Amino acid sequence: MKPPPFEYAAPTTLEDALALLREHGGDAKVLAGGQSLVPLLNMRLARPAVIVDLNRLPGLDYVRQVDGWLAIGAMTRQRAIERSDLARERQPLLHAATRLIAHPQIRNRGTVGGSLAHADPAAEYPAVALALDAELRVAGPAGERAIPARNFFQTYLTTALDVTEIVTEVRFPTLPQGAGWSFLELSRRHGDFALAGAAVTLSLSSSGMLDGARIALFGVGATPLRATAAEALLTGETPGDALFTHAAQAARDAVEEPLSDVHASAEYRRHLAGVLTRRALTEAAARARGGRAA
Amino acid sequence: MGKDVPRVEDRQLVTGRTEFIDNLTLPGMLHCAILRSPYPHARITSVDTSAAERLPGVAAVVTGEDARRWTKPYITMPEKWGPYCVAVDKVRFVGEPVAAVAASSRYLAEDALELIRVEYEPLPVVVDPFKALEPESPLIFEENGSNVMYQRLFTWGEVDRAFAEADEVFAETFRWHRVGANPLETFGVISQWDAIEGGLTCWGSFQAPSYMARGRAANLRVPSNRVRFIGQPHGGSFGGKGGARGTDITAMLSRKADGRPVKWIEDRMECLVAGGSQAWDRFYEASLAVKRDGTATGLRIKLVDDLGATAEGFGASGAAKPLASFVGCYAIPAAAYDLTIVATNKLPASPYRGMGPPPHNFVLEQMMDIAARGLGIDPAEIRRRNFIPPDRFPYTIPSGNEYDSGNYEAALDQVLAMADYPRLRAEQVTARAQGRHLGIGVVSTIEPGVFDWGAYAILGARGTGVPEGVTVSIDVWGKVIARVGFPAEGQGQYTLVSQLLADYFGVTLDDVQVVPQDTLSAPPHFGPGGSRLGVAITGAVLGAAGALRTKLVTVAAKLLGAEPDGVELMDGKLRVKAAPERALTVAQVAATMLTRADLLPPDVEPSPEATYVWTAPGRTSADEQGRSKGYLTAANACHLALVEVDIETGQVRILKYYLVDDCGTRLNPATLEGMVQGAVAQGVGAALLEEYVYDDEAQPLTSTYMDYLLPTVHEVPMTEKAALVTTSPFTPLGAKGAGEGAINTTPAALMCAINDALAPLGVRAREVPASPNRLWALIRDAAPPSTPS
Amino acid sequence: MTAQTSRQAARTRQVRVTVNGRQYEATVEARTTLVDFLRAHLGLTGTHVGCEHGVCGACTVLVDGAAARSCIMLAVQADGAELTTVEGLSRDGELHPIQQAFIDRHGLQCGFCTPGFLMSVCELLQHDADPDDEAIADALGGNICRCTGYQQIVESVRLAAAKLREEGGSS
Repeated sequence: MKPPPFEYAAPTTLEDALALLREHGGDAKVLAGGQSLVPLLNMRLARPAVIVDLNRLPGLDYVRQVDGWLAIGAMTRQRAIERSDLARERQPLLHAATRLIAHPQIRNRGTVGGSLAHADPAAEYPAVALALDAELRVAGPAGERAIPARNFFQTYLTTALDVTEIVTEVRFPTLPQGAGWSFLELSRRHGDFALAGAAVTLSLSSSGMLDGARIALFGVGATPLRATAAEALLTGETPGDALFTHAAQAARDAVEEPLSDVHASAEYRRHLAGVLTRRALTEAAARARGGRAA
Repeated sequence: MGKDVPRVEDRQLVTGRTEFIDNLTLPGMLHCAILRSPYPHARITSVDTSAAERLPGVAAVVTGEDARRWTKPYITMPEKWGPYCVAVDKVRFVGEPVAAVAASSRYLAEDALELIRVEYEPLPVVVDPFKALEPESPLIFEENGSNVMYQRLFTWGEVDRAFAEADEVFAETFRWHRVGANPLETFGVISQWDAIEGGLTCWGSFQAPSYMARGRAANLRVPSNRVRFIGQPHGGSFGGKGGARGTDITAMLSRKADGRPVKWIEDRMECLVAGGSQAWDRFYEASLAVKRDGTATGLRIKLVDDLGATAEGFGASGAAKPLASFVGCYAIPAAAYDLTIVATNKLPASPYRGMGPPPHNFVLEQMMDIAARGLGIDPAEIRRRNFIPPDRFPYTIPSGNEYDSGNYEAALDQVLAMADYPRLRAEQVTARAQGRHLGIGVVSTIEPGVFDWGAYAILGARGTGVPEGVTVSIDVWGKVIARVGFPAEGQGQYTLVSQLLADYFGVTLDDVQVVPQDTLSAPPHFGPGGSRLGVAITGAVLGAAGALRTKLVTVAAKLLGAEPDGVELMDGKLRVKAAPERALTVAQVAATMLTRADLLPPDVEPSPEATYVWTAPGRTSADEQGRSKGYLTAANACHLALVEVDIETGQVRILKYYLVDDCGTRLNPATLEGMVQGAVAQGVGAALLEEYVYDDEAQPLTSTYMDYLLPTVHEVPMTEKAALVTTSPFTPLGAKGAGEGAINTTPAALMCAINDALAPLGVRAREVPASPNRLWALIRDAAPPSTPS
Repeated sequence: MTAQTSRQAARTRQVRVTVNGRQYEATVEARTTLVDFLRAHLGLTGTHVGCEHGVCGACTVLVDGAAARSCIMLAVQADGAELTTVEGLSRDGELHPIQQAFIDRHGLQCGFCTPGFLMSVCELLQHDADPDDEAIADALGGNICRCTGYQQIVESVRLAAAKLREEGGSS
């Protein structure tokens, strides 16, 4: 299983990277962590004429707090998030999701930007981005633009990125004080792609009612999806098993065309969407009540 | 012996120095890539390799035409289901080779494959084995007239009467999906054709080099004394290394490339789709006749085994081996085996560790549990009531094999004590009240060891005797050299040989060197397989050491002025029994033999060396009902698994795992422990994770490790193990074959545990792997309609 | 960097890499994977190929101290990097404590997966001198072994950690 021939460039400035993408357009593929792209090259399922390696671009590897956001450079390795105290404290949902990505060797190379741009339906980061209404900063021929997560994931392995653009940064809102969170996925083996998963945050008002629940489901459709009907059901209500079961049913019903493959049928994934939603809501509520953000 | 010593193989392995086949480079070597059929069943109407041949760096290209003129179709078991190494006229499974290239690099060779044009005329696909049995089915091998590779009903004892007179009969069907070996190292070979001498030399990761060599001599029409196979140390095999086609293809390429060596390393996708990686695609119907007290009086097993498109992989042997332990540990007096092996357009099945009993035991042990549940008897207790008692050995089971020794009840008691069985049952009750579904599986199985050909006679295997030879020599400095025929595969056999000889001649492990021989130099041998090598090589080593000792004693006697029967070998010295201070070291005697022929007794060769070839004693060929003493030893294992099933998701968690294994004398305890644990892992994979899936058009859907799921450290329980020893009366040191181990037992243990957890829900899981999706669907279907899912 | 500018794409590229403390330089096709570069171009055949799609971990090496699957890295990506492979663990015939621990606790059978495990264990013990079982499992989850069933590997890691703590430092 050896890759087909291709041309390779390793630009050292963002300008050069963008110039290469302008020049080669759809014939080029961007190489970030390579954990998804290189296997496809080895299997000759991807046959780009040109590979543009982003790993020499300086200044895209950081984790910073900027006002109420966690700003992460697109070329930040997933392992850096895993080891970041700032990420763990300020955005524990993102941190918990990171620990479930594959295995250490993958996380050492895989990047935050790469995972989002690849947009695998069962990947963790797209779900977190959608749950939190993250913002992606993208550089292209026309300059920089910001794309909210809800507009970014279009369909199976397809995002709003043009072939001439690259992600430079992603911003996740930090978790509000007192908010609860839960990140659950079900996979065949530890580290495998999720058959289904739920990323949940919620807050409780001072009187203990739910305000602002967010539920993102992944592994169950071509893109991650926000279970907005389920979220609406929860607002203003008192947390409890019956409520969460009801919301879980709504989440399950929101899954329209689940994926089906050798590991899980569509029907099973839809069922899991409900189960994981309920469990995640329960866990998030317990965390919120506990007053701990982490 | 019996001690925990560092393995002699390990220093090279931990430093990455071991010469696995892909680490070997020869001058002028080319690299092979194989073009494979995308169709499961099609005529080949044309093959145009001209563009590939013109690509700079390509040295040779072969097609089915070369196979037709230079080779013969494979000899198979059963006979007449063998294709050529490269498809001629038609392809029969996705991945079948249709052409191959030798080029300056594997990268370039794969580029060249893309330039080969093959035209196919698709044929109707045979994917369902039951439809394949129908008279109107398209045929995989037209010349055979049907897709039935084998069909036979065996009846041993008064089966009909047992069922007619039973108090109860329990019946069930089961499905075992394809799983297979998947050693971490795929198959690899370097073939070099010698056009001048008309010979062939092959280096490779061969599990059984001498058998591969024989096969190549026949297939490639090379004189057998000009075929030389060198078995490299290899990264596991488990029966499924495969490699016949790759060897023949690279041999043909070398022939076309003026005798330049040609290397082929099977890549993982090739292995999964087209290699020796698949086994046991099975449909079972089973019934058990029992008395009210749980005593089983009759067992009927019907098996439809989908072997895939040809019998080239010797996977059919997995359907014959169950005869060796057909009734398991139980004194069931009558049994019947209704066996059909059928061809479909899937990958030809290969052997896999256990060779057939793992699925068979999964069926038998579940039938015992089903009977226990039906009769209201505890599953451990029903087994106890049926065990062959320890005073009945050697015991001949209805299907003809003889078990050497065993104490199944002692093993059961030991595992129940380790697990604190009553407490686990109490825990189960408490958990159920809390809405948690725990399950306990207690199973007891036989691992047949040290095979002989009679075990496979029903499929056409002929002859008796599976040799394993070794030559032991001592040099002038007293260093011991053992020349063996088998390559290192991971079971620590070189360490075993070193331990035996170190003890025998009173030297250190470092003083012993085990040297593998190529197939033209080695004594007759088979190598690892059928849990035979530990016992066989022990027999060979002890035989050679004994013959060598006799020579040394004879020479020492002359040198010491004593009679030979007055001289003994003790602690590395040849000494006069009556006057032990009159002694010579082994080194001194050996040196004398090699350098002072004048001092030797008459008729003693100047050669401190002896060869011994061992084979299992007392083997018989099979009678008309397939009965034979096919396997020399019968190891026993008793496993207890505690699982929890999440009934909302169908996920299974293994909470605790206990096992007792009895393989007789334990020649190297640490090695045994490792092999048992490794086989447990394979059992977990088979029960919960691993499955080769084909769609309705016989297209393989599991072609990568993203889809075929091997267990990682997270999925395998750390087991608590204990050993029981009932020595074998038939083997040199009382050891029993143990190489296949727990894979015979773990799938049964886990399925019994899962069913124990789900029985209160009215669910019976009968299919492996018991994936979460499968279990959830069963739970959902069994739920009363009012329960929301 | 060479004459190739930041904005040029080419089929081949020069790679300068330090492996086990020694510098190497070669011109390779860009499509050459790192594991093939190590094995075929540099003759360092201790790192093995098991799957070529980044699942089995047999090809694990350290890239600037971090465990990585060399079958899904291009050699050109390693330009300027410091790599450690299994060949870099032993020194003058003296085994590294991790290697010795694997021998002592029988953490290997066929040994094909072992170099990959050793490198993953290296990274683990560099970051965590006293890993608990969960940390060990987390570190090893990306390495597959078909022979051992992992139990003796975990015991080997525990022993390796103890040996290194005794020595008073990491590798």
